Amino acid sequence: MSEPAVLSAQGKDDGGTKGWRVSAGLPIAFVAVVILLAMLPWYADFAAQRLLVEVFTLFAIAFAWNMLAGYGGMVAIGQHVFVGIGSYSLFAISNTFHLNPWLALPVATVCTATAALIFAGPMFRLAGAYFAVGTWVLAEIARIAAVNIDWLGAGAGMPLEMIGEFDRWARNAYVYWAALGVGVGAFAVGAIVLRSRLGLALMSVRDAEAAALASGVPATRAKLSLWVIAAAVTGTAGAVSYMSTLQVTPDASFSLNWTASAIFIVVLGGIGTIEGPVIGTAVYFALRETFADFGAWYFIGLGSLAVVTMIVAPGGAWSVLARYANLDPFGIRRRTPGDPSASHQSPSPKQERQ
Amino acid sequence: MAIACETLIDGLLLGALYALFGLGLSISLGVMRMINIAHGDFIVVGAYLTSLTMQFLGLQALTSLIVVVPAMFVLGWLLQRLLLNRVIGGGMFAPLLVTFGLSVIIQNVLQETFTADTRSLQAGDIAQRGFELGSISIGLLPLLSATVAVLLFALTHLLVARTHFGRQSRAVADDPATARLIGVDDKNFFAVVTGFVFAAIAIASVLYAMRTPFSPSAGPERLLYSFEAVVLGGLGSLWGTLVGGLVIGVAQLFGARISSGLGPFFGHLVFLLLLLARPNGFFTRAAR
Repeated sequence: MSEPAVLSAQGKDDGGTKGWRVSAGLPIAFVAVVILLAMLPWYADFAAQRLLVEVFTLFAIAFAWNMLAGYGGMVAIGQHVFVGIGSYSLFAISNTFHLNPWLALPVATVCTATAALIFAGPMFRLAGAYFAVGTWVLAEIARIAAVNIDWLGAGAGMPLEMIGEFDRWARNAYVYWAALGVGVGAFAVGAIVLRSRLGLALMSVRDAEAAALASGVPATRAKLSLWVIAAAVTGTAGAVSYMSTLQVTPDASFSLNWTASAIFIVVLGGIGTIEGPVIGTAVYFALRETFADFGAWYFIGLGSLAVVTMIVAPGGAWSVLARYANLDPFGIRRRTPGDPSASHQSPSPKQERQ
Repeated sequence: MAIACETLIDGLLLGALYALFGLGLSISLGVMRMINIAHGDFIVVGAYLTSLTMQFLGLQALTSLIVVVPAMFVLGWLLQRLLLNRVIGGGMFAPLLVTFGLSVIIQNVLQETFTADTRSLQAGDIAQRGFELGSISIGLLPLLSATVAVLLFALTHLLVARTHFGRQSRAVADDPATARLIGVDDKNFFAVVTGFVFAAIAIASVLYAMRTPFSPSAGPERLLYSFEAVVLGGLGSLWGTLVGGLVIGVAQLFGARISSGLGPFFGHLVFLLLLLARPNGFFTRAAR
């Protein structure tokens, strides 16, 4: 499909090919915002904290979905399987070993990554649209298993017992910080991965698999790494999200709604761009806070908006912005040396062909 | 032993219905290279349409096919013409995500119109009747739906293998660009194919609604069963889809024997295990 990534994969190493469009002000602004957000428990109420926990965790999940789909070419309709596994392993570990939930969080991350590695066995036999629906089968089977395992509380799920040892302020603040960490962490991991050799390999495979394979890119290994990283991010975000609600149930944590929200966010914001999920999350929550009272009609409107976006502007909101401003603040896109036209490389493979 | 035999037969009969669910998916994958994520939701739409037809036109469940099949054909034709033709042929993202959005829209429209409650059809006499074969009892309705399924597969096979329409569809499936060069109007052709897919969905949904209570959120599960039938059978193999459906049906009913809530679990498990053992399905044409 798009030539530039392949050319730079063959050509010079990273250095000269990355587009640094970053102004000196950006990192400073970024750090300032993060510091401001980190101090939030001292100046905002619990409701605001809880809303932001949702924002950050859903952002991380959408970000992971976008890494898989937009950079790895792996559309995972069953990504919510990792939300369920992450939250269930956090609750099970913390309850069984009477462990501080925040110490159990990294263990939940590892559990989810391990599960992803195991799931890769059957899933990596499928490609494209088959992979997409195959992951959904995975989520269904995990949900039914959780409903039927008594140790996990069966259909009623289980509470997070150890969290009772913290007072209300500490509980809310710690969960909030964990969520902030997950949100910022997901973004940082994503930016690091995509700027690394792994990111280059992924983008070259996405844009022209045959050419990438011919140039010796280890496609399967790159995709497997991305799959495990995205799963770990999703699992951690899911675990933090259920820390906030204190009770995990199979039907909620293994619910397609997680993936559906992630898809809406990424489609609205811009698939295959690192900025897309940021804009998409803002749009998604703005819509939700405004129209959620309309119930089913809200979902009908959201679905229609996504369908229209895919047809009118498949690159989402960011592509519309980037087209006019030629932005690449995080230096993710790769350009062919000496080819100025390549700087207009569009974020979505679909657009390339038009 | 009699119980095992009966489970096997029931499983095969149920599996034939799943294969019928998968028939439409198999065709749209084969010809247009797209998975319609809303496939299962359209099966549920067909079920509600049947319910409405019976309610307002006073038809029986089976005779309502006269209305439901043409209505679904038109729905499919319009869907392809107005929406899906805009997104196919340009990679997998757009069709997947657009039909995913459709799935969310349909489920919520159904819920808004018919409430989230489950609904079942007055299938009449036929639902209760059955006959004994030695010590095994077989329901008439499952037998009927399995027979219809096999007949529809045979009909589709003849359509693809023997007719001008079938030759076109094979040409488009093999090489859409060349097919267009030699005069196949692929956009219109796709619309007719989707119409046919929806007609098959209509028949499947009437049989499904006669057997099982349904609700607005029942779609995704139907999609997964259809999908498993298609993948297990081998991509591009019509009869493979039938066999895949049978395997899933049998696995589910034996699973339900082990524990009543675990039927679908064992269906999915067998699917994943067979995927590891035979990644290309049972019947795959030689790799191109």
